[in-house]
Amino acid sequence: MLEISGLSVEVAGKSVLEGIDLSLGQGELHVLLGPNGSGKSSLLAAIMGLPAYRIVAGEIRLCGEKINEMPLSERARRGIGMAFQRPPGLDGVTVSAFAAALQAQDRLQSEAAALDLADFSRRELNVGFSGGEIKRWEILKLMLQDPQLVLFDEPESGVDLEHVIAVGQAIDRIVRRPEAARTGLVITHTGTILHHVRADRAHILRGGRLIASGAAEALFTHVQAHGYTAPDV
Amino acid sequence: MNEALTSPLPLSNAERALLHEVGFADESLRTGTAVLIDDRMRVAQSNIPDQLEILPLAQALETHDFVQDLMFGLVGPEANADIRAIADTMQPPLGHFIWVKAGAKLRLPVQCFSMIETPQARQFTHDITLIEAGAEVEMIGGAMVPPALHRGRHITLSETYLRAGARCTSVGIEHWAPGMEVHSYSFAQLETGAQSDTTAILLAPIREHVAQSRTELGADAISSTQTVVFAPEGTHRRIDSETRLTAPGARAKEITRMVSTGGEIDNLARMIGAATQTEGFLGCDGLKLTDQGAIRAVPALDAQAEGTALSHEASVGRIDGEKLAYLMASGMEEEAARNLIVQGFLAPAETRMPEDLRDRVAAMIVSAKSGGM
Repeated sequence: MLEISGLSVEVAGKSVLEGIDLSLGQGELHVLLGPNGSGKSSLLAAIMGLPAYRIVAGEIRLCGEKINEMPLSERARRGIGMAFQRPPGLDGVTVSAFAAALQAQDRLQSEAAALDLADFSRRELNVGFSGGEIKRWEILKLMLQDPQLVLFDEPESGVDLEHVIAVGQAIDRIVRRPEAARTGLVITHTGTILHHVRADRAHILRGGRLIASGAAEALFTHVQAHGYTAPDV
Repeated sequence: MNEALTSPLPLSNAERALLHEVGFADESLRTGTAVLIDDRMRVAQSNIPDQLEILPLAQALETHDFVQDLMFGLVGPEANADIRAIADTMQPPLGHFIWVKAGAKLRLPVQCFSMIETPQARQFTHDITLIEAGAEVEMIGGAMVPPALHRGRHITLSETYLRAGARCTSVGIEHWAPGMEVHSYSFAQLETGAQSDTTAILLAPIREHVAQSRTELGADAISSTQTVVFAPEGTHRRIDSETRLTAPGARAKEITRMVSTGGEIDNLARMIGAATQTEGFLGCDGLKLTDQGAIRAVPALDAQAEGTALSHEASVGRIDGEKLAYLMASGMEEEAARNLIVQGFLAPAETRMPEDLRDRVAAMIVSAKSGGM
C-alpha cells in the first residue's frame, strides 16, 4: 500500500527527515514512536503532502504510484487521510457544511453517534472543541472522507482516559473494518493508545532517522524500559 | 397628507417573491409588516394592534402627538446634506413608525422592507421605531430591487428608541443594485437595561454604500452588533459607526467581518467610554482575496471616564494557508476549500439568525462569492 524509500524532507530549508525507508502492507497498522522533535509528525505531513514539507530525496509510493509531486488534495482523493494533532479552527465553517462539501452528509448522520458527536452538525470546525472532541472529530472526519491509508498524529494526546478507549476503538474500527481493512500509521508519544489498538509493527524515529522497527508490542516494551533507543539485535 | 401615497396597496406575487429573497414572509407568519416600495407605504399592518402598532410615519405624526418629539430626536435635521434632504424634500415624510407597546413580548418577528422598482428613482425615507419599557421584539428587515433595475438612489434615516428593559433582536439584509448609491443613517438610544442584538448582512454589489450609525447606551444597557460585508469589484462600502457608553454598566460589542474580491471597504468604528464601569469591544476582521480594491479598517477607542474598559482586535489578511491545507487534506480542491473558508468567515453567528433565514443567508453568501448576485 505505502512504500517509502530513502526519503529526506526539508521544512524552510531545514532537514527534518533523512533517508527514511518504510513499508506498510494493505490492512496493516503501524505505530511511530519517538521523542518530541524526532520527525514523526513531519513524516505524516510529507506523506499527506502538506505544503511546507519539501521532499529533497527519495520517494513515496502509494499502491505502486510515485506521489512525490502529487498535490495535497489529489493525494487525499487517491485515498490518504490524516487526523491532525492540532487542527486549525475554522470560524463559521460548520461540521454539516464540511460534510456537504465532501458529499458525505449521510455518513455524518450514520457515524457521528458512535463517536459521541451526534449533536455536532452545527458546530464550527475545531472552534471551542475540547481536546477529546478534537480527536473524535478528526476520526469522524476520516470516516467522512473514507480513505484507504489513514494517518493519525498523536490521537490520544489531550484526551481523558475514558475517551482514549473510545478513540482507540474507533481507530481499530476504521482500520480493521470487516468489509476491507484499511492501512494505518499512528504516531504515539506516550504509547497509551497501544492498549486499545492492535498494531502490527512499530518504528522508532530519532533525529529525523528511523532507528528501529519491529513487532509493535515488543518494541513498545523496549521503549518503556530503555527509552527511544534501538534494541540490541 | 397625500392619501394616495400612504394608503395600502397589496403586494403582487412578483413583489412578494423578490422580498422573500431578503427575508420577507407571509404577513400571517409575522406579528407585523411594513413594506415601502418606491414612494409609497404599501403595507403597514399589525396582527395584534394592542401590542404593536405599525403606521406610515406621516399618519403616525397625525395620530400620535408624541411622534413629533421622536422625529429628529436622535439627530438634527441639519446634521448633514443627506439628512437635510430627507427633512426638506419629504413633506409628508415617507417611512414607517413601529411602536411596540410596554411589556409586549412578541412571539413572531416584525418585518420591514424597502424596495425600489422604478429605475433611476430617488427614495428618501425616515423610519422611527419605539420599543417601550420591558417589551421584547425580533425584527427582520431588508432592502431589495428587481433584477432589471441597475441604478437609483436611496437615502434613509432611522431612529430607534429602546426604553428601559426593552429587548430587540434584529437582522437586516440589503440587496441593492450594482449601480446604486445608498446612504443610510441609523441612530439608536438604549435606556437603562435595554438590550439590542443587531446583525447586518451587506453582500450584494453596489456602486456606493455609506452606512453611518450612532448608538447611545444608558445604564446597564447591552448592545451587540455584527456586520457582514462583501465587496466585489466595482463596490465601495463605507461603514462608519460610533457607540457611546454613557452610564455605568453599559456594555457594547461590535464585530465587523469584511471580504473584498476587488471592491473597497472602509470601516471606521469608534467606541466611546463616557462613564465608569463600562465595557466596549470592537472587532474588525478582513479577508483580502485579490490585488484589486482595498480594505481599510480603523477601530478607535475613546476612553473619557475612569473605569471604562475598551478593547479592540483588527486584522486584514489573506486566507490562512494552514486552514486551506486542512480542508484540502480531506480531498477538497483549493477553490472549493477557499469558498468554504470565505463562506464561514462571512456567516453570521447562527444564534442570531431566525431559523427560516439561515439557509437563505448561506445561499446568498455562496452566490456573492461566486459573483452570482
